[in-house]
Amino acid sequence: MKKNHGIVALALLSAGTLALAGCQQGSASGGGEDGDGGDGAVTLQFQSLSDQPGAQAAVSAAVDSWNADNPDVQVEILQAGWDGAYDKLITQFTGGTAPDIIHFDAASIVPFASDGYLADLSDGLSDEVLADVPEGIWDSVTVNDQIIAYPSTMQSYMVFANADLLAAAGVEVPTGDSMTWDQLREIAQATTTADVYGLGWGLGSPAATVMTLAQGFGGDFFSGSGDDVQIEVGPNELEVPERIHQMAYEDASLDPVSLTQSGSDVLASFYGGTVAMTVQGSFQAANMAGDAPEDLNWVTLPPLAGSEGALQAANPQTYSVNIDSAHVEEATAFLNYFASGETIGAIAQADALIPASTSAREIVATETGGENGWDQILASADGLVGAPFLHADAYAAWKDTVLNPALQQYLGDQITADQLAQQLTEGWG
Amino acid sequence: MSAATAAVATPSARSARSRRSGGPSGPRQRAERREAIALVIPALLPIIVFSVIPLAVGVALGFTNATLARNATIEFIGFDNFVKLAGDTAFWNSFGIGIVWATSVAVLTGVCALALASLLNANLRFKPLTRIIVLIPWAMPPVVTGIVWRMIYDVNSGPLNAALGWFGLGPVNWLGDFSTALPAVIVVGIWSGLPQTTVLLLAGMQSIPTELHEAAAMDGANGARRFWHVTLPGLRSVLIAITSIDFIWNFNDFGIVYVLTEGGPGGRTMIPPLFTYLEAFRNREIGYASAMGDVLVLAILLILSVYIVVQFRQQKEGRS
Repeated sequence: MKKNHGIVALALLSAGTLALAGCQQGSASGGGEDGDGGDGAVTLQFQSLSDQPGAQAAVSAAVDSWNADNPDVQVEILQAGWDGAYDKLITQFTGGTAPDIIHFDAASIVPFASDGYLADLSDGLSDEVLADVPEGIWDSVTVNDQIIAYPSTMQSYMVFANADLLAAAGVEVPTGDSMTWDQLREIAQATTTADVYGLGWGLGSPAATVMTLAQGFGGDFFSGSGDDVQIEVGPNELEVPERIHQMAYEDASLDPVSLTQSGSDVLASFYGGTVAMTVQGSFQAANMAGDAPEDLNWVTLPPLAGSEGALQAANPQTYSVNIDSAHVEEATAFLNYFASGETIGAIAQADALIPASTSAREIVATETGGENGWDQILASADGLVGAPFLHADAYAAWKDTVLNPALQQYLGDQITADQLAQQLTEGWG
Repeated sequence: MSAATAAVATPSARSARSRRSGGPSGPRQRAERREAIALVIPALLPIIVFSVIPLAVGVALGFTNATLARNATIEFIGFDNFVKLAGDTAFWNSFGIGIVWATSVAVLTGVCALALASLLNANLRFKPLTRIIVLIPWAMPPVVTGIVWRMIYDVNSGPLNAALGWFGLGPVNWLGDFSTALPAVIVVGIWSGLPQTTVLLLAGMQSIPTELHEAAAMDGANGARRFWHVTLPGLRSVLIAITSIDFIWNFNDFGIVYVLTEGGPGGRTMIPPLFTYLEAFRNREIGYASAMGDVLVLAILLILSVYIVVQFRQQKEGRS
């Protein structure tokens, strides 16, 4: 009898484990979806991620005016958020419920293109739209010779400084076209006191920042494209993490706690005056213009330059068309309309991002007159270049499983630069 | 009394009679069996559709090269995924972290819940109120628990570091530091698992006859000895069941750790469900990820079988 108890308990537990484990699987099937409205008009679903109120207003204005001009093709905005956008999209695509028009960014949308979910826009986009965006930026949204997205706006990493703390330390606010990493280090050292760190840098997920800024030192990481990509982690690639490490642990001028936080966490320290400078995505200028305390006298410093110049990887936000949409043509026509200088310029201005198209960039330069850090943000646009990591198929997975953990360990002073290089190389492929 | 006995005896007598007269394949038995099947199927169907089939598909996917690509062709590749998995050190590291996490949470939850249940079982004032307060963590979804604790652990503005600051200690970067991240996450796991474990142990304690405690007290046993010799043996089955279930739940838990650390810093809290999730949805290799799921189920079964067999054998020896 007692032995039976054991067996029954075991059987129940087995059933329990199996049932719990059953929750982790998905299914691999594509599928289309029909977007026909009731009265013969086509309805296109447009999943937008824009989160600044100004950008949302610009998107709806463009959609409203399109809907008024095209009674047969109505566009409906589905507002979603950047948080968890990747998970949402992969579920939508595999479940066959993805919207017709998809807003995302190049590095994250490229895997979907390699998996065959996105329509080729090369023929659908008008010549004007194609000519308006520089060749190098088209590169970052080209997969297997197909243009899989329209690139709209780009962020660059900017150094924001508390001018009062710089003045108190007797440091002159640097001017000019660019600022070297050595200058950044000197200012950080000069402004560090008992209560204040010279620099706060939210590198909780360091991968994107390091890959982007590595371009300044010629750190390409990858060569080749698609499936056939080789990795090389040499001195150029390690320059950025090593300099950050040096400021944090040799100079003690970079708050090591900030290296485990998110950018917005560090922004709170910057507002509170416990760090004199912070490196953030340019889009934070929009938040700072609205949220920063009245008495905080913040300035944007010139773009950071490495040995190769003030180069950063261009990872534009993108608008793509679902290949399984019943109305690829109509969706592409809408993108042609949406890609106007006015719309993209307005979105860029609200988000504090750099427009990819020349016409929108001119509009932003005129309208802002360089206020609120716009002079430096637009100056950094000249250094945005296509980056090899955008063309490596396995980058998205490698970034999460290898690059981020390894960089966290290195920036947490747990491993050496050699071990970092070794982990990155061995984790590839 | 005799009427009741007769009433109880009748159905068995009738069934014995019918068995003798009709035989196993008589028309009435067949009708009864059809009826039984008709009654069971509506209950069974949802289980088959929503549990058994997805589970079978999930297990089978582990033997294929399925990906999340559009119109992907799925090929059967035998044990290739499992061979690859055997050499995947990142997965086994994560597996080790999972064992540490699930074992610590299950064992420590058991110990804390035992103490808490004893306290609630004692005749203290405001008993109904305290019993309700204990249930509060149970009412919180894991994501909310995670967000609340992330605020508590916050290095600059968290109340925990503020409290430490009063004593001139800290600040400690609880979730960001390599040495404190896993323990900090384990504490949250214990906190959120405490209510159901406590309630089950409390129910178990109340089913122990008070006579046993009285008899032990008469024999001169103090509180600690009574706990050790009366309460604990009486709770043994419940304790084994609940620690096993806690182990399974925590080994498969995703929400709390994902919200707290996303597996960071540097993979220090990368428990197997997080790792499998990355493989399935970031790497889009669901075949390989399903193989991981299969291995995890087998591993849990193996660990639990050993634990339960050993525990029940000891119990048997203890009684004989």
